[in-house]
Amino acid sequence: MLLEVLQGTEAGGFILIQDSVNYCGRHLLKSCINTALKREEVVHVLGFEVSQEELNDGLDRTSAQRLHFHNAYSDPLGWTGNSPFTVHQFTLEDIGTLLKQTPQAKAVTLVIDSLSWILRHHDPAAICQKLQALKKGGVVRAVIGLLHSDLHQRGTVGSICHLATSVITVAPGTRGLGAVAKITRRTKSGKLMQDEEIFSINEDLTVTIQSKRSHPGSTPMNTDESEVDPTAHLTFNLRLSDTQREAKEKLPLPFVFSKEKKSALLHPGTGSGRILYEPDANDDYDQEDPDDDLDV
Amino acid sequence: MAAPKMSMGKPTADRLPCNTTSFQKKSRSKLVSIPGTRPSIQNGQLIVSTGVTSLDYVIGGGLAVGTLLLIEEDRYDSYSRMLLKYFLAEGVVCGHELYVASALDHPNDILQELPAPILDDIASPKTVEDQAKSCDPESQDAMKIAWRYQHLPKVQTALASSSRFGHYYDVSKTMDTEICQAARCHGFYLPEHSTAVTSPTATRQSPMPETYSSLLNNLQEVIHREGFDGSVPQTKSRNILRIGLHSLGSALWGDDLCCRENPSHGHALTTFLYGLRAMLRSSLSVAVVTVPSHLIQNRALMGNITRLCDTAIALESFRGSERETNPLYKDYHGLLDVRQLPYLNCLVCDLPDNKDLAFKLKRKQFTIERLHLPPDLSETVSRVSRGELTGTAMVGSSGCGSGSTGNRHLDF
Repeated sequence: MLLEVLQGTEAGGFILIQDSVNYCGRHLLKSCINTALKREEVVHVLGFEVSQEELNDGLDRTSAQRLHFHNAYSDPLGWTGNSPFTVHQFTLEDIGTLLKQTPQAKAVTLVIDSLSWILRHHDPAAICQKLQALKKGGVVRAVIGLLHSDLHQRGTVGSICHLATSVITVAPGTRGLGAVAKITRRTKSGKLMQDEEIFSINEDLTVTIQSKRSHPGSTPMNTDESEVDPTAHLTFNLRLSDTQREAKEKLPLPFVFSKEKKSALLHPGTGSGRILYEPDANDDYDQEDPDDDLDV
Repeated sequence: MAAPKMSMGKPTADRLPCNTTSFQKKSRSKLVSIPGTRPSIQNGQLIVSTGVTSLDYVIGGGLAVGTLLLIEEDRYDSYSRMLLKYFLAEGVVCGHELYVASALDHPNDILQELPAPILDDIASPKTVEDQAKSCDPESQDAMKIAWRYQHLPKVQTALASSSRFGHYYDVSKTMDTEICQAARCHGFYLPEHSTAVTSPTATRQSPMPETYSSLLNNLQEVIHREGFDGSVPQTKSRNILRIGLHSLGSALWGDDLCCRENPSHGHALTTFLYGLRAMLRSSLSVAVVTVPSHLIQNRALMGNITRLCDTAIALESFRGSERETNPLYKDYHGLLDVRQLPYLNCLVCDLPDNKDLAFKLKRKQFTIERLHLPPDLSETVSRVSRGELTGTAMVGSSGCGSGSTGNRHLDF
């Protein structure tokens, strides 16, 4: 699912790449930029954390004119007075004018590297509102943001994640192989998809999925169950063969009311109550009328 | 000539029984005439349905008019949003007026996603019966029961009252646009209202209080204009206003409740709720508010918010938690917790008989059921091992008693 998210099939999305000090998410961000460039999209980068040279390193050279880097790395707070972009310019109007500098009708992807820097200097609630407005505004096709989640309070991170359509949380992989990405993706209809994948990033910034883990919790439960087989070594027979089972099922249980039994009791046949008696020679039959003393 | 005579005759006819006996029928005809409402069995309050029949049952019949239902959102806001849509859809079907406020999506978008009602009134109970009938022979085939136990009532997991109130909805389809447009709806989309308000206040003053107060003012204006408050003389037939407020308290409302432990405007939402409740009490309206409680850092504040609402329920989805793969919960989509029930005109409220409630979203409907273990029909899994499963699920420690695993099953 990581590849689908990176391909960015749906418009109006907000993809959040969440990393921590253990694993840097910038490589994934760069491969995101690369795939967007390959899709013939215009990419605007608000760069606070790395210089333009460092970001461009490894990116597709042929489409460099579609990549616009807004340098806020050299002077993020505007102290020298001639900074191309400052953190205080993170408003809808300023971003709108930035995007209009390049008069192209093509789809625009806005990359924010990183949101952590902006969150330091703005009210988190205001950031959320601006991100939502960017998402809904229709000016940009997609917003991709990098967030260092260990630098902020849990509530701030939670609020930003709540807004995002896709959240990719990256962490170092076990045994030093690749990295683990937990992906949570919301579709427009409100459906939620989650996945966990182990990936690695190649030299040319393409992402390779190594393996998938869809249900991390289910595996240990089963192994525990299969270890113990209590019926393995028994001195008596617990199992039934098919013929035995058939014979067992034929047996009517004492307190079970079957249909036949019920109908037999409720609707007795007409001639069923007759007593057939054939007199026998040995019968001790009293000839006398037992009631002859009565005056009937 | 005939008309005045008729009007003269009516009051005398009304008065006549009063002269013969002091008994007067307690008439509620004025209130009952509103479609989609009925008096509560417990306290006689006028109630409306939430749109989910089993939720109505859980909260004591329905939502009393003039009260506020708080829904604590699940982690990804999928089921709480669905409950809100059910509530609004029920309003559309009953002909109530709607008021939708949101900061995330445009109210019109929310209204377009309303689930389609299953309006065929005879068909829907029949299908339920059919299901029950089709279940019965199966279970008789599967299990032989001694005859004296055959007629014991089945344990009812689905919660429903005996009489029908509210409608059923098909989640897979959206409501017809014709039905949707027939309903009168007032929307409040925060970005549309706040641009005028917040742009002048760029002078480092947080826009927080304005968002809530503009919502409250807008709501008050609608209630007054449309004549939902009691002060307006009764000129036309009364109606109910259903108010749905989506994701209140989230960062999009300009509230830093979710971001900080000690929010700078900690009283903003509670103040708003006070105002909202006062407004609801004096008008023919009922409100549902969803709050992303998992994001709110300050538990005391969340407690305050809960106390300021009349009914409070919390949804906890299994999505993304370890419970998703737990066999105990495999039939359900999440847990529902009733946090608070209102005490209306009486000292007691009717508590639900079972507090372990779970919800599931079937293709056609959202149901709340009593959480219980399913009957175990397979012969390989013994009852004991399921008990152990619950034990490990609750405690989370599977390491205990590992030495005796071998003979654990042979303890007889």
